[in-house]
Amino acid sequence: MIQKLRQSGTLLGFVLILLFFALKLPDTFLTARNLINISQQLSMLAVVAATMTIVMVMNDFDLSVGSMASLSGIVAAMIFTAGYPVWVGLSAGLLVGVLGGLFNGFLVSVVGILPFVATLGTLTVFSGMAFLLSDGKTIFGRDIPTSFSGFARSGIEIGDIKIPMLTITAGLVIFICWCILEHTNFGRRLYAIGGNKEASHLAGIKVVRLRLIAFSLTGLGAAGAGLMYAARVASANPTQGSGLMLDAIAAVFLGMTMSRRGEPKVIYTLVGVLILGVLDNGMTQLRVDSYVREILVGLIVLAAVSVSSLSKRRQS
Amino acid sequence: MKTLLKTAVSLFAFTASSALAENVAVITPYLAQPGTQMAIEGFEASASEKGWEVNVIDTAGDVAAVISRIEDSITQNVDAIVIAVDPAQVNVGLQSAKDAGIPVVGLDAGTDPLLVANVTSNGYAMAAETSVYIANRIEGAGKVVMFVFDAFPPVQIRGVVADAIFGNFPDIEVLDRVTPDVSDGGIADSRAKMEAILAANPEPGSIAAVWAAWDQPALGALQAIEGAGRAGEGIVITGIDANPQARDAIALAGNFEASIAQNFGAMGAAAADVVAGVMSGTEQRARVIYVPTKMVTANNAGQ
Repeated sequence: MIQKLRQSGTLLGFVLILLFFALKLPDTFLTARNLINISQQLSMLAVVAATMTIVMVMNDFDLSVGSMASLSGIVAAMIFTAGYPVWVGLSAGLLVGVLGGLFNGFLVSVVGILPFVATLGTLTVFSGMAFLLSDGKTIFGRDIPTSFSGFARSGIEIGDIKIPMLTITAGLVIFICWCILEHTNFGRRLYAIGGNKEASHLAGIKVVRLRLIAFSLTGLGAAGAGLMYAARVASANPTQGSGLMLDAIAAVFLGMTMSRRGEPKVIYTLVGVLILGVLDNGMTQLRVDSYVREILVGLIVLAAVSVSSLSKRRQS
Repeated sequence: MKTLLKTAVSLFAFTASSALAENVAVITPYLAQPGTQMAIEGFEASASEKGWEVNVIDTAGDVAAVISRIEDSITQNVDAIVIAVDPAQVNVGLQSAKDAGIPVVGLDAGTDPLLVANVTSNGYAMAAETSVYIANRIEGAGKVVMFVFDAFPPVQIRGVVADAIFGNFPDIEVLDRVTPDVSDGGIADSRAKMEAILAANPEPGSIAAVWAAWDQPALGALQAIEGAGRAGEGIVITGIDANPQARDAIALAGNFEASIAQNFGAMGAAAADVVAGVMSGTEQRARVIYVPTKMVTANNAGQ
């Protein structure tokens, strides 16, 4: 019973939040347009959080995702500025993400630095590189091709509704992450590493290699989110992704309160992302002070995790 | 549970009050900056006289979130939106507002065809005033340290003007063009950078002046110079914005000699007037509205 309550508490909270906003904002909250807006607003966070789940499954962390997002945006924008086609810029941005992720994985699994420390270091390195490459400037205007920024404005029309490309991209990434973690040997092994690294190693799982791959996937996701961000704001700035990291970790933590053994799951991470996004959207519409909003979001994350950990303790 | 109920009740109370008044959303990622804060306070004061309901939204540095909040405000069907952020970066949101027929006014933002108008100070003129002040004070000769921040367009243009003015004096050498880390507010890192520059130039008189594109680096440089015991060398420091801390430092008649006071309050009030005009259907012709600035020195810092 307690187990069920613990698992469904966060989901119940989410439903209550939805009901509260639906009652308070009957004309504007549960409209197709607003829900699409929310999905679009959340798309970048969803991509970072879903790929962050991959490393968090192994009890690892990646604090560098925000600065990686900024760096990939800058790299792509610099390549656009140099006159190369859009696909070259996008590929380069994503490649930077994979390489940065691999470097994180190398530090964590080969050199053996704690993920917190290793990725804190690379957070600064990636951020510094973004500043160095861009000379600290925001790249915008004619330097950003309209076919790139146009992606963030485009969508697939279904009847009267236009599903934004950013939302579709995020949906695809979430689906791929879900498949990888839930339906492949690779994913199951990552969960095994998260359960017990030593035992996994002894059982013949190639821990070092898998961690390398997992970190590079997180790096790739961060870079992808950075490109989506740059397309949405039609510019690249060396600090623009920095807000993504803490929200992504908060979303994964919120999601972890819903799973049976407290392990991260992509679908639950998505619920975590939705909670954060819906709170932001609803409270903006209710005109709640932005600082009060920040406090409330923090308190809700704390409340969810506290309920989960208290009920877990009682259970044991 | 009690707290939850209380929060819910306060949210109800908060939203119940505004059935008929004009609703204006003010959205910025930079509310922590004193200048933005003062401009928005000026706007709020003027708006409350006009009987508007104003919702100030701070996205705490997140520019994409500004677009999200613009979209939310459109959903909420506000009467007007005011932004204090580079409009080029929130273009998608501005386009959505235009499509929805909601006017957007820039508050110290930047010019953009999708804005009704931008209300600001003349950044070129401010930078020209302080850099010429330094050039004259050091009689056109000596080494100058510059603190700039090119990532933020309104501050970037100040650096460009100072570059041009110092470049026009053959005997002025720009010793270093420093971009401080602003994540700590800008004072601490500027101080560290200035300490390093002072250490690299130990000869008295080897640094003639410090030109800062805003006040925080000027204050950091002042602390470094005083900490190194070199306040007596006559190094001239100037800033821009004349925030209260800078005014106090200037009033002491030490190395920090001048800054430029932007009239942020008036900027906010002028933006409110533009919003009022647009809502009443008046055509807004000027795309940029400059609010006058004033040089602050030891003579008038206390005023």
